[in-house]
Amino acid sequence: MDLFLSQLMNGVGRGVIYASLALALVLIFRTTGILNFAQGEMALFSTYVFWQFTDWGWPVWLAILATLVLSFLGGAAIERVVIRPVEQSSPLVVVIVTIGLFLAFNALAQLVFGTEAKALPRAYPFEQWTLGPLTLESDTVALVVVLAVECVVLWLLFQRTRLGLGLRAVAADPDASRLAGVPVGRMLMFGWAIAAAIGALSGMLVVPTTPGLNAGSMQTILVFAFAAAALGGFDSLLGAVVGGLILGVANTMTIQYLNVLDGIELVVPFGLILGVLLVRPQGLFGSTRVERV
Amino acid sequence: MRTRASVGRWVTAVLLGFAFVYACSLATSDDIPRLQLVAQALYFAVAAAGLNLLTGYNGQVSIGHGAFFGIGAFTSAILIKDHGWEYLPTLPVAAVLAAVVGVLVGFPALRVKGLYLALVTLGLATIFPDVIKRFFDESGQGQVTVRSRLLRAPEWWPAGIGDRYQWAYVLTLVLTVVAFVITAIVVRLRFGRALVAVRDHEAAATTLGIDPARVKLGAFGLSAAYAGIAGSLSVLVLGNAEANKATTFNLSILFLIAVVVGGTATVLGPLVGGWFVVMLQDQVNTFAERPDRLLGLPVPGPVEDFVRGKTVLTPAIFGIVLVVSMYLLPDGIVGASRRGWNRAWAAAQRRRIPAPVPASDGPDPQRKDRT
Amino acid sequence: MTQQRSPRRSARALVLVLALVLALVAAACGGGSSDSDGGGGSPTTASGGSGDGYQDINPDDCDIDPESVTIEGDTIKLGTSIPQSGLYSAFKEILLGEQAYIEYVNAEKGGFDVGGKKYKVELIAKDDAYEASRTVTNVQSLITSDDVFGLFDVVGTKNNLAIRDNVNDACVPGLFAATGSPAWGNKNYPWIIGTFLVPYPLEMKALVDYLETNQPAATIAVLRANDDFGKAYSESLAELVEGTDLKIVKEEVYDPEVADTKAQVTSLAATKADVFVVGATLLACPDALKNAQASGWTRKVTYMSGTCTSKTLMAIAGDAGADVYSVAPLMDPNNPEYAEQPNMKLYKQKVAQYEPEADATNGIVAYGWSVGALLEQTLAEAKSGDRLGVMEAARNLTDVKGLALQLPGISWSVGADDWFLGEQFSMVQYSLADQYFSTVGPLVKLDGETAELTPPALIDG
Repeated sequence: MDLFLSQLMNGVGRGVIYASLALALVLIFRTTGILNFAQGEMALFSTYVFWQFTDWGWPVWLAILATLVLSFLGGAAIERVVIRPVEQSSPLVVVIVTIGLFLAFNALAQLVFGTEAKALPRAYPFEQWTLGPLTLESDTVALVVVLAVECVVLWLLFQRTRLGLGLRAVAADPDASRLAGVPVGRMLMFGWAIAAAIGALSGMLVVPTTPGLNAGSMQTILVFAFAAAALGGFDSLLGAVVGGLILGVANTMTIQYLNVLDGIELVVPFGLILGVLLVRPQGLFGSTRVERV
Repeated sequence: MRTRASVGRWVTAVLLGFAFVYACSLATSDDIPRLQLVAQALYFAVAAAGLNLLTGYNGQVSIGHGAFFGIGAFTSAILIKDHGWEYLPTLPVAAVLAAVVGVLVGFPALRVKGLYLALVTLGLATIFPDVIKRFFDESGQGQVTVRSRLLRAPEWWPAGIGDRYQWAYVLTLVLTVVAFVITAIVVRLRFGRALVAVRDHEAAATTLGIDPARVKLGAFGLSAAYAGIAGSLSVLVLGNAEANKATTFNLSILFLIAVVVGGTATVLGPLVGGWFVVMLQDQVNTFAERPDRLLGLPVPGPVEDFVRGKTVLTPAIFGIVLVVSMYLLPDGIVGASRRGWNRAWAAAQRRRIPAPVPASDGPDPQRKDRT
Repeated sequence: MTQQRSPRRSARALVLVLALVLALVAAACGGGSSDSDGGGGSPTTASGGSGDGYQDINPDDCDIDPESVTIEGDTIKLGTSIPQSGLYSAFKEILLGEQAYIEYVNAEKGGFDVGGKKYKVELIAKDDAYEASRTVTNVQSLITSDDVFGLFDVVGTKNNLAIRDNVNDACVPGLFAATGSPAWGNKNYPWIIGTFLVPYPLEMKALVDYLETNQPAATIAVLRANDDFGKAYSESLAELVEGTDLKIVKEEVYDPEVADTKAQVTSLAATKADVFVVGATLLACPDALKNAQASGWTRKVTYMSGTCTSKTLMAIAGDAGADVYSVAPLMDPNNPEYAEQPNMKLYKQKVAQYEPEADATNGIVAYGWSVGALLEQTLAEAKSGDRLGVMEAARNLTDVKGLALQLPGISWSVGADDWFLGEQFSMVQYSLADQYFSTVGPLVKLDGETAELTPPALIDG
């Protein structure tokens, strides 16, 4: 039982990592309808910037704040400068542009900051608490807390503020929103800006728990984040979180209990997603679209 | 009457002719690295052509074609190395196996669409290396290497042309031509039109008597077969089949890039795109290794020092070029040349026919800013 | 309305075809073993004709006659392909160590001695980002376009395996493949020789010997990478513990491209085994160590691969790296015990002089420096200034001692009877307080045992 619970906690720990990046992916998709391939590498670049601040001796919390601000502005700038010109083109074109950003950000991070692995300071100390049979680690708890806060804030933003209303309007019908006086351009930039900040926060909290910051830090997380977003539904923030958790737990449980699948454990989480999508092609919490002839 | 389209076709044919003559001249070359490079561009183009059928013409986005490529590669490699086959017979087996898996993947695609389908294909690309390592590769390297000796040309190969790398190159060239000819034919057949109909308006297509399921499955199978053939050729050219997550993922992305940059839903787009992807990376890599000259011009010292050895420049430049090329040429290179051709033709016509005088002072129907 | 039915019928037919095809393929693959027949530079008999253990190499059946390719002018061009970008880019520090040594000899000794005459060495380095396909094209380019005399220290087991056939057929010297894989003992490929890194099966032998003396009835849990590197550890360990009181209780596999070992280590920790063997490399090593510590696993012995003994990795492991065992063929530049050794002083001084951005305390740089010295010795022992002469010199290095940072007291040899160079080394243990590796126990001398200990499939596969 103990082993089951610790692997469960491991799974939750991995799951919230995927969920945190998936949240950013879903946010951009919801506000701009774009799948941002570069989300992970933007977060990576932000994390390198964070490292640079701490390397200069800044206190961790200041570094985090500064990086968040810079990422926010950076995200807005990218939308305006890089994405806006091609937003009207076919979705494939936009995908290629985000792939280009993916490659460029990854390479630029290595060029500017060097290719050696960097040690990152933690924002909080590593602790373990035992609650009965459960062992909780501060890494997991911190991410869960942050994720919960992000979800609440985003929900409030979308449902209770004018800004959120504007975002939703622009996502649903940009032309009509423009007519209604909603500053469409600014809304799009805002969507990217928040997503970039969320991604950066994800990087800054997650990467210190890994052996070192390096060019590959975000790549597997990105694939799982996509998977989590698909599982939960690309336009559902809750779906991103639930999807991430399910994936993390499925992966860990397979490693522990299905030894026959040694080496091909990934079959289970991806098989799961396929199964869900076959039954609900829009993901667990995604919304269906009606197609008229 | 000389129409824009017919003259356009002549021009394309002439250009292709030149390219083909150049390609043939390489067949007797001794420059093996060059042969391997051009061959890589060619089989890349074949894989991109397959992906184009599925994604461009049929609208189903796949970021997993690296897996079909890998299936073709490993089929050929294992058959040659472990079972003593000659290379040529492995080609159809590779194509068929890849096609079979492609159709299998196509089944869920009937239900799962768009972004979600893209994710399913990404999942395929992620799992593929693990499955290979587990079931088809006892040595656990995630790669199979085939001796050069086993990849030599068959007996009927003329003695004048080299029997290892030149043979690989020529076969790749021939198969590339065949693949593109087949594509050109397919898109003009009913099946090709059905692909586009299903992409543009599936519900309407059904009312026309098209079975979208058959079309979609066929598209998946055919496109996977192309990728499988490309993978098989890669074994002939490089002597190696490799399966790991990074490579499979990279290949999948590069194929998609080749399709879009070349020109989606055009016959020749993938050829241009494949060329673009392979050559650009090679040029930047070579530059990063020896940055003393760029395009024939000497490079200043400090720049040279900064660049030397920094092969990470390649993805950086590649990424930037991608972004820029999508602004400048959102239809891809072939799409943009078509537009350019149309404009040039129209300009030439206008010089012969005077512009019409507006009939009244009313609103100009050409202006688009009416709301 | 046939539209509803035809997809299902064609579906069934397709599934049947698929099942048939897959069954055929699986049946065929099930019995498949790799082909390892002789090739260019064909295998020579063990006695080599001279009966004194000298390894001759047969130059017949070479695509390019190795005796005709001599050193031209006053420069020897050598080529290498190493990961300079991507996940494995940490290995590019090897290049800095090599270049420091080459520049030092070029500048201060007038060049490398071959048959009495001195030549400068020029090393052309290409990046393959650890992808074997790129190694293939790089090496092809190095041989045909750059006209290199030979290859030097190509990194990566799969990378060297990918080029092995071509290099062997072309009879181009492949000097010192930078991996500890037992595959370089395959007698069908005399043109690639492995470096002095401890062969992975010998690491396990040293460990088992240590355990039999100190923890004879210990239980062992193994974490290994899901590739041939990891297999070399787990398969040789399994063979070695047969007939002893040691027992492997669980083995877990992790994906080397992902370097996340949490779930696997939790699973191993639950067995409460006495010994934890980490058959991992690069960042997965400190990750495994940290996870083991976090899971509260009390172990008697923790052993990690010799490829992990670097200052950077141990720094990342932090206090999870305390008292970890491993092996090393070289002196640790951080260990003050060796600070006064003349070779160590020379190393640090020359690296600072010729490659100032290199960190001389990094074991990877120390490796590069030392393999440069091995190159110098090989060239000096060449009986003739052509490819055949140089390769035969490499194949017959005898009693190499005191070479650069080689541990004092060990000697390396290869010859007709033993194709593995790095069979003498030391077990080491990491001291957290001192932050370096110190030798533990007597020097390990296992000459000739790699071939005996390794399951043949790993050598000939």
